[in-house]
Amino acid sequence: MTDEMNTTPTGEAGLELFQNTMEEFLAAADVRVVYGEPIQHEDTLIIPTAEVLCGMGFGVGSGSGTSAEQNPEKPSQGSGIGGGGGGRVLSRPVAVVVASPEGVRVEPVVDITKIALAGLTALGFMVGMMFRMSSGRRALPEIEE
Amino acid sequence: MPTIETETKYGESRQVGDLEITPVTRVLKIHKPGYHAGLIWNRPKAVIVKTSDGKERTLPVTDVTRLIIWGMLAGGILGAIMIRLIYRHR
Repeated sequence: MTDEMNTTPTGEAGLELFQNTMEEFLAAADVRVVYGEPIQHEDTLIIPTAEVLCGMGFGVGSGSGTSAEQNPEKPSQGSGIGGGGGGRVLSRPVAVVVASPEGVRVEPVVDITKIALAGLTALGFMVGMMFRMSSGRRALPEIEE
Repeated sequence: MPTIETETKYGESRQVGDLEITPVTRVLKIHKPGYHAGLIWNRPKAVIVKTSDGKERTLPVTDVTRLIIWGMLAGGILGAIMIRLIYRHR
């Protein structure tokens, strides 16, 4: 068995695939990802904007070796490649740019569902805190002199 | 140590009537050297509007949803601290 690692043609293809994925990942930093395709409506141009959060990671490895354990006269050869990765892209609308010959304005996009969820979480936290404080006081033993 | 990099990017300008619009984004990149992993956070920053007479105006793109959520979080923490203080003084 040798410790030498080399890249096989399959390995090169795998690496190329990962390289392409990495390039696509880096494309998330482009301006065109955030500012969507403009929509023309008569004299008005509407440009949707969104924030993009993209995270990814991957790893790939390959190796080959020979083994003379079964047949010392004719050692067997083998090679293999393995890899894995994962990632996620999150996109959320932020605002809409409305441009007309009269002027340009930025209209914010408000995500009511997200706000409601955050509000309920904050409220739950506060109610939980109140409950904990009041029950904690009741549970305290009285000191008798 | 991961490298944290921020960058302001300018997009292609578009002509609408006499106005020239240039989109601007803010990019945050986090990458650990030697590892095939990273994070990119790309968000709109502003829109630069240039009129035919050469006047330039920057319109910020505000993320109202995030502002409200952070406000709620701050309110929740402050509320929790106040509840704690009120119960302690009783």
